[in-house]
Amino acid sequence: MSSAPAPVELDRPDIAEDVASDRPWLAIVWNDPINLMSYVTYVFQAVFGYPKVKAEKLMMDVHHKGRAVVASGTREEMERDVEILHSYGLWATVRRDD
Amino acid sequence: MKVRKGRGGTVRIRFEPEEAALVRTLMEQMLDLLGDPPGADDELAAVGITDRATTPDDPVLARLFPDAYRDDGEAAGEFRRYTEMGLRDGKREAAGIVLATLADAFGAPGTSGDDASGPLAGIEGGSPAEVELTTEHAQAWLRALNDVRLALGTRLDISEEWYEEAERLDPSDPRMPMYAAYDWLTMLQESLVQAVWQG
Repeated sequence: MSSAPAPVELDRPDIAEDVASDRPWLAIVWNDPINLMSYVTYVFQAVFGYPKVKAEKLMMDVHHKGRAVVASGTREEMERDVEILHSYGLWATVRRDD
Repeated sequence: MKVRKGRGGTVRIRFEPEEAALVRTLMEQMLDLLGDPPGADDELAAVGITDRATTPDDPVLARLFPDAYRDDGEAAGEFRRYTEMGLRDGKREAAGIVLATLADAFGAPGTSGDDASGPLAGIEGGSPAEVELTTEHAQAWLRALNDVRLALGTRLDISEEWYEEAERLDPSDPRMPMYAAYDWLTMLQESLVQAVWQG
């Protein structure tokens, strides 16, 4: 999985884009000073079943780049993933891929 | 506090009585913060939906239940309506599991007066004790400890350099006990993550 695209600001999708439902949605985890690096790695493994190497890479992306895309799929799937990440206390958001 | 692997994939944590009392107090404060579950006559709540769709004013609640959309308040509100109640339930459940584990090991709060060893027996006095956690309960402990760290860390406005900042604090600073609790919880959580990983 590649890192999140550089722009932080989102372009609000217009109606024409809105019906293009094949565009994937993203679950993004943001860096925060409280969650432990070990715990974040553990959560990525527990929630997504990622191998430890991939979970650690994502955790380091969050730590150094401020955020990382941790999953992609339909909007419903990403909202479900973000809800689970919130249950673990991670700071996670949903957005459409651009 | 000492964390070690038990048999059959369990994790064992040995607590001093005052450490167990600290964890219990923090979990009770978390339950107070989360509030009571909705009443049985709330029809929307019965299917997991609330009419509250705005970001909580309390920064701790806003951190525990963050906006799921950064630039779309409407979508963030809808997400909150459909998820926040379930998330609150999950956090209440995790804190409840921690309290139940401690009560098993140290006795329930308020029962120490009946103990033959006197009014100081039980969790506030007495001896160290060990809790044994199944994998499932260890995960609940991890989530509950993390929630409490998020609450304390947000109240303290913790930064990546918090340790250096805490070292420069005057010992009489009223925030000192919160920093100490945060530091200790961080050690406990780190040890617990490592123990669960080895399982």
